[in-house]
Amino acid sequence: MNIPDVWLLTLIIFVPSLFALLVLLIPRGQEEWMRWTALFGTLLTLVLTLFLLIDYLNLQDHYGTAHRDRALLGARADEDLLLAATHQPARSDDLIVRIPWIERFHIEYFLGVDGISMSLVLLTSVVSFLAMIASWNIERYVKGYCVLFLILETGMLGTFLALDLFLFYIFWEVMLLPMYFLIGIWGGPRREYAAIKFFLYTLLGSVLILLAILGFYFTDLRPLAEYFKTHPQAQQEAQVLDRLVQRARGAAVNTFDILLLHKVGRESARLEALYQEAKSSAEKTPSVENQKKLEEVSALRQKYQLFSRDFQVIMFILLFIGFAIKVPVFPFHTWLPDAHVEAPTPISMILAGILLKMGGYGLLRIAYPICPWAAYELAWWLGLFGVINIVYGAFAAMAQSDFKKLVAYSSISHMGYVVLGIAVWTGLDRFQYWSWGMNGAMYQMLAHGITSAGMFFLVGVIYDRVHHRDLNALGGLNNSMPLYSGLSAVIFFGAMGLPGLCGFVGEFFTVLGTWNFDRVYAFLAAMTVVVTAGYILWTIQRVYLGNNPRYEGLPEIDARELTVAIPLVVLTVVLGVWPPLVLEWMEPSVTGLVRQLAAAVAIP
Amino acid sequence: MHDLIADPGLLYVTATVLPLVSFVLLFVGGRRWGRWGAYLACAAIIGSFVLSVVGFGIYVQTAPHHEHSQTAAASQGAGHAHAGAHSPATETTRGIQPPWSGSIYWAVVHYLGESEPAAALRLGYYVDGLTVAMFLMITLVASSIHIYSLGYMAEEQEEWVEDHQAHVRRRGRFTRFFMYLSLFCFSMLNLVLADNLFQIFISWELVGICSYLLIGYYYERRSAANAANKAFITNRVGDAGFIVGLLILWTYVGDFNVQHVFDTVRSPAVDSHGEPMPQGRQFVRVTAEVDSDGHRYYRADDQGDQVLLFRGHVHAPEKVQDTWHYEADMPTMPYWLLVVAGIGLFLGCVGKSAQFPLHVWLPDAMEGPTPVSALIHAATMVAAGVYLVGRVFPVFVPDVLLLIAYTGGLTLFVAATIAIVQTDIKRVLAYSTVSQLGYMMLALGVGGWVAGLFHLLTHAFFKALLFLCSGSVIYGCHHEQDMLRMGGLYARMKITAWTMLVGVLAIAGTPLFSGWYSKDAILVQALSFVSLNPRHFLLFLLPLLTAGITAFYMFRLWLLTFAGEPRDRHVFEHAHESPWVMTGPLVLLAFFSVVVAWGPNPFDVQGSWLEHFLHQGQPATLDHEKGYELAVVASQAATRERGGNYLARDSWLYPLFEKAALGPHDLAGALGLLVAAIGTLLALGVYYWRVLDAEEARRQFARVHAFLMEKWYFDALYSVAVVRPAGVVARACRWFDLYVIDGIVDNAARATVRLSQWDGRFDLGIVDGLVNLTADIVYAVGRSLRAVQTGLLRNYILFLAVAAVGLFALLSYLMALAG
Repeated sequence: MNIPDVWLLTLIIFVPSLFALLVLLIPRGQEEWMRWTALFGTLLTLVLTLFLLIDYLNLQDHYGTAHRDRALLGARADEDLLLAATHQPARSDDLIVRIPWIERFHIEYFLGVDGISMSLVLLTSVVSFLAMIASWNIERYVKGYCVLFLILETGMLGTFLALDLFLFYIFWEVMLLPMYFLIGIWGGPRREYAAIKFFLYTLLGSVLILLAILGFYFTDLRPLAEYFKTHPQAQQEAQVLDRLVQRARGAAVNTFDILLLHKVGRESARLEALYQEAKSSAEKTPSVENQKKLEEVSALRQKYQLFSRDFQVIMFILLFIGFAIKVPVFPFHTWLPDAHVEAPTPISMILAGILLKMGGYGLLRIAYPICPWAAYELAWWLGLFGVINIVYGAFAAMAQSDFKKLVAYSSISHMGYVVLGIAVWTGLDRFQYWSWGMNGAMYQMLAHGITSAGMFFLVGVIYDRVHHRDLNALGGLNNSMPLYSGLSAVIFFGAMGLPGLCGFVGEFFTVLGTWNFDRVYAFLAAMTVVVTAGYILWTIQRVYLGNNPRYEGLPEIDARELTVAIPLVVLTVVLGVWPPLVLEWMEPSVTGLVRQLAAAVAIP
Repeated sequence: MHDLIADPGLLYVTATVLPLVSFVLLFVGGRRWGRWGAYLACAAIIGSFVLSVVGFGIYVQTAPHHEHSQTAAASQGAGHAHAGAHSPATETTRGIQPPWSGSIYWAVVHYLGESEPAAALRLGYYVDGLTVAMFLMITLVASSIHIYSLGYMAEEQEEWVEDHQAHVRRRGRFTRFFMYLSLFCFSMLNLVLADNLFQIFISWELVGICSYLLIGYYYERRSAANAANKAFITNRVGDAGFIVGLLILWTYVGDFNVQHVFDTVRSPAVDSHGEPMPQGRQFVRVTAEVDSDGHRYYRADDQGDQVLLFRGHVHAPEKVQDTWHYEADMPTMPYWLLVVAGIGLFLGCVGKSAQFPLHVWLPDAMEGPTPVSALIHAATMVAAGVYLVGRVFPVFVPDVLLLIAYTGGLTLFVAATIAIVQTDIKRVLAYSTVSQLGYMMLALGVGGWVAGLFHLLTHAFFKALLFLCSGSVIYGCHHEQDMLRMGGLYARMKITAWTMLVGVLAIAGTPLFSGWYSKDAILVQALSFVSLNPRHFLLFLLPLLTAGITAFYMFRLWLLTFAGEPRDRHVFEHAHESPWVMTGPLVLLAFFSVVVAWGPNPFDVQGSWLEHFLHQGQPATLDHEKGYELAVVASQAATRERGGNYLARDSWLYPLFEKAALGPHDLAGALGLLVAAIGTLLALGVYYWRVLDAEEARRQFARVHAFLMEKWYFDALYSVAVVRPAGVVARACRWFDLYVIDGIVDNAARATVRLSQWDGRFDLGIVDGLVNLTADIVYAVGRSLRAVQTGLLRNYILFLAVAAVGLFALLSYLMALAG
């Protein structure tokens, strides 16, 4: 931790809120000023995020390829803590912020960045900035809108950067209320139903997550400190925990520290793996030796396994449902079409572009690393959820006649790849497949963030002109709005997974990983490309092709709308043509996570 | 410049990128470029052509001229290419001899703490004889078609264009047409250039989307938009199979590099110590066994369920009692998965090359502008499927090859029969394309690697020619495509008529025209195969019969169009010859349609220089003298002498040749010519001399005619079996969401509201102690709850909070119990 890092990360999270305060100060009637202020707030956040990216790239270079493991978030946090403990100066570039906040409950203001969060933070600030530009035609209660919008951005950025569960939960909830109002006040005709549906669904998820968080918190970590002491290769971990034990002065050691909980989860999984192995070999060949081994391991497990198998499974299911609602995973998905249809265009962009990613992020950052054994045991079921999402979402999309609803269901289908990619646990010896899956899931989140935000925006552009979204009544836009239609084609093809555009990369990686996990899943995922092509092309035909005298002379996409659309189109192409642009710095973190988890349940 | 000379492969990379540059410029520039945009696109593709010619020159000079050496060098080359991220430098070890290859990383997964990737997807180039020939063909045909389009699409230069079919006035889209063409050329060249299957797949999809965009070029017409969708979606069915094939190969080979894949699934010629391998260049099917000492090993077994993979260090097998024993630590893959991988890749080719049963999209694709039909849907893109089968040929096990052969055989026959009854000039050509692609597939399937690709190249020229001629006719007749309204046009457009006649003669297989050499090669190959495997006699009978049908419907087309009396005076009066910018390419292509397959002595059907050139690039795995792989299909003993290009001694046809001193070339060639002549005479009889009446025949065979007019009912079948069920499933999903899931959600919400109402009632009752007042109060509360959301929300939160605490308490308790 060093001071510039503290400022940078803190500013990224709170600049939007500061600007929300500024907006509040602007007197009524100065709507244009409010919009510009809000836009400047999101722009400043974007610029700061780019600085963060540069810092992160430097950090990675600094550690180099040989020390990739030390550049992982957990290792960096430990190093930072130990340097602080021994009163040495912190590294200049570790991008870790850890400040005690509520000491009574060991709650810290703990932030950090790795490839996984970096990419999503970047996505958030880009999409928020573009969504703010798209918000220009919001006419009602502009002040309230801008304030809520900016608070929402703070919530989202905080969620991606927080490494303390308590802090994470706060940001998670902070994001919830503005969204409720943004849909409920600025939405379409059924906005109240949609808003409350969204709120209740998500609140249910939050409660489950809260339960899991409390469950983790009330686990006493003291046995783990002893356990680490017996492991010579875990010196750093032992020292870190020792500090906590000393600080607690004999009382129970509880923590909200996500990275520490990762360690607890991994060690628990390792013990479980040892135990299961010993048990199965004892059952297979009940020799005295095996029996003895089993007893030994059993005792070890009894003593040191803080998160027992059952505990992990229960907690994992709680977390999974909580995050699955956000993703959303079938059958927790029906809030999404309603919320999307009713939400104003920029809010749909945020919702699809960023909010859904929190589900995936939560799985990657919290559910998987803290409960690896449960994730490992339930991997097949998780994959099943992913595949159902992919197939079900695609078919449901095909049946829609509301343009926005179609895009909403396509989101469900595409987010299925994220779940599937995360789920394909193929073990340590074949970890490359899981790594493709996981990288595919991450890439898919970014790609979907861009294409879905783009698609919702493009739907909004038409809606502003023709005031309906009925696919069967549209058509012929290619002639009245050629530029708009050309840009739309790129985005829609991107969503369809056309090679050379961003959607393809994530899907292909995911399927590449899935085949070695479950062939049927991979086959279904591969076959769905046909259905996807079906509904996307059919949509393009119904909206852009053909000839419709009603819409002749429709005004072409204007300059403001172009400023939103063109960056999204460019990103769609660039990320599709040259994925190393992102993978270069994202992949080491993702693969590092995969390695750690795969190693945790592998028998040494 | 230095790099280009040091590594001629980069010439080809440049040739590939040129059209991409043109595409990007046109995309950014848009309409503003006007006709200069079109010139830019033409310049780009002509530039590619020039580079291809230069590359060809270098290739011919440096290529080793003994057979099979290329593939051997290729396997080395692939090994080298994998050593570094970008390795044209490795060519230093072998000068600049082809094949030229190199690659860069596209996406990688690392091990922790290692800079070498654990797995990587790459982009690269691989230039061998096949690539060189394909580049020449593609760029030459594409250049002609670009120039032709300057004339054909000229009216798109107008600010406003009247579309008579869709009855709309719309803006001209001249540059957009050339923009799409440029993107297509890039994708197609990239497909041919690629050194790995992943890159091929990318290009595969890109040519697909170009095809989609160009079929839907007149998107105001509903039929065009439908055809575009149909083309892309049908292709995607094939692509799903392609993906499955990719996944299997990735799993067992760990790489998509084509040469690397071959080297892994087939035995090398020599092992790591230079010992010869007994089953060199073959698939080695094995069975895992354990001998009496408990040693595990793999026994070579033609029916084994595993296939050995050759990675890393390889030891030659031991010979034990007439069988070969391989070491047990060698990696293997299940045989059935290798079959599935082959079928998957082939399925991709079936979609792209419009083979049965995915052929339905190609005739509809004729909705696109005619130059597009010529370039994409006749000469190049649809041939990509054939190209890919040829490119990955060594991956196909005999069972898959047989499937390929039958698919081709069925396709060529079905399509030809449908072509007989079509009256739209472009549709006849479309079905003839499907049919000719079937010939190529059949040739590849029966082991005729050279024959199939040879026909691909000759067909590209004469089919592009035929399409452009039809375009010229359509242009000259002011967008009339129905042959029944033409006739006698020879008087009006002599150049078009003559050049088209060249195309017709070529496709019918007339001696001295290019089609003669390649069709003969296919028939000979098929005859040799059938002579070995008599029960597959259809594989010779179908192409032979179809040669006659082909001649019939092609002459029918020419005669209906150009000969006889004009059937529609209006069309005839207004018909005119096309401008030179269109007829020029016709003459050029007509020239190549004749001479492209010539050898030193054009009368020698086996002496084609092009065929010889392709022969040098034939995969070493396919030992054409033995036809080994195919003999396995017939499950004959491996020791007998058998024919690839000549007949086996024990073939049932052999005595015939022994007595008559004839070769299979004579037999197949003579039969082919005979059948074609019959077809030609029949066409002349019906449509020129009129000794036979077509109407009469139609009445006689009304059923057959209807069956053919309905295209064997494939479209109807797919509509019932695929399209409608998909719609039903989709609607079922929507229904499930609306009524089941949301039903549960909404009812749960309603129940909660009711619960909270009871809760409120209970609360008030306790506090006030006035039970008889509750009814009124509940009514008020209920109404306020319904009207004011926040009240509802507060209750929810309360409820959830209580539930959460309760749930947590319960969980903690259970945990404590569980211990």
